[in-house]
Amino acid sequence: MKLLATLLLLLAPACLGADAQWMLEKSTLSYHVSHPLHQIDGVSHEARGKGVCQAGQCSFLIAVPVKSFTSGDTNRDLHMLQVVRGAQYPMVVVRFSLPEDTASQPVIHADLQIQFAGQTVEYKQVAFQQTAHGAGTEITGAIPATVSDFKIDPPSLLAVPIKNEIPIKVDVTWRKM
Amino acid sequence: MDMRRSRFLFAVLALAIALNVALDAQTAASLAGAVTSPAGSPVAGATVSVTNTATGHSYPAQSDAAGLYSVQGLTPGAYTVSVAAHGYAAKTVSVTVKSAEPQRLDLPLAIGASEPELGDLGFSPEQTQGNPEEQARLNKRSHMLKIHQELGLITLAPMLASLFSSTGAGGRHSTASGRALHATLGSVTAGMYITTASFAIFAPKVPGTKPRGPIRFHRAMAWIHGPGMILTPLLGGLADEQRSQGQKVHGIAQAHGAVAIVTAAAYGLAMLSVTLKKF
Repeated sequence: MKLLATLLLLLAPACLGADAQWMLEKSTLSYHVSHPLHQIDGVSHEARGKGVCQAGQCSFLIAVPVKSFTSGDTNRDLHMLQVVRGAQYPMVVVRFSLPEDTASQPVIHADLQIQFAGQTVEYKQVAFQQTAHGAGTEITGAIPATVSDFKIDPPSLLAVPIKNEIPIKVDVTWRKM
Repeated sequence: MDMRRSRFLFAVLALAIALNVALDAQTAASLAGAVTSPAGSPVAGATVSVTNTATGHSYPAQSDAAGLYSVQGLTPGAYTVSVAAHGYAAKTVSVTVKSAEPQRLDLPLAIGASEPELGDLGFSPEQTQGNPEEQARLNKRSHMLKIHQELGLITLAPMLASLFSSTGAGGRHSTASGRALHATLGSVTAGMYITTASFAIFAPKVPGTKPRGPIRFHRAMAWIHGPGMILTPLLGGLADEQRSQGQKVHGIAQAHGAVAIVTAAAYGLAMLSVTLKKF
């Protein structure tokens, strides 16, 4: 009995004091551009992210280099880099906070703060699906971004501009450290 | 009798409730204070949770614009007070609440080491720092390529007109005026073509970029229509000279029409390759 009590005393501070950390294990982020003559998807697998939980609240940060998005056409990707001011603002940075107890819910709603193209835009209550895979958690969803949100001049082809909507598909897997 | 008994019981119950409320009022305490930053400025919107360590009952509160929070109706005893605010380190303190006294507990916060930062993710400074010079180069490149695209479209007009006017310049129906018109349109086409091409050739290059996708085909076509656009007027000039001397077009000048058609076809394919989906 004494031994049990001693063990509990030794273990308790370790458990109570441990703040969980999450690391982004793998990611696929893609933007979709619509034009009457083209449907383009630019994809990046180079996002990195970290989440820190403290006092029941978790803060997450995901960042991805703008130039890591590829659409299969170098010329188009360079043009994209230019219109989104990717050399001047080379990172897309996404921040959000979630209560720690949402880790077990199948659908989560997050308020996202996105820094991109020199602008900071907030998207409220964006829904994501959450699936547990062993020690990892896969989160999928789409961010309803638009070109005008980030004050980007819509690129055009044959004098026809692209659609304002550029939804960003998210498929990320977090691992608890 | 039953009625009297009921009234008596009701009176006793009411008295007990009133007594309990009075005692509660006498013993209930409150906890209030200010949530502040390391600089002493108020932290608004901080989440404060006051938990009775004996019962586990929690009393939530939130700091207002002045950083002030307040929790009422506490029973005396030991409590833990947790505070969390965006950008600050979460904090938990223990406090003993005494009976019937409004108690003050200020909660100064430290800057949160828990907030993940871009520096935590291991990107190199080259990846995260902006480069205005590179942006300026990209802007110039895009601007020049846009002109290239627009001039390329405009060049189609004299090019097609040259092709159509060729019927009056060669064969049995050849006339001097027909040849002159065709030569003029050809010269305009060549001039515009050279201008168009120069905007692509002299657009700033982005080092380390390996061409992928339709642009490779677009560039490959340029190796056909480029020389073709030089050769076509030369052969045309030669053919015109032979015609002017009353000769039948002969020798290498005979290839003028074929070279012009191949050149125009390569030019059209180059345009389509960057215009149409999945070309």
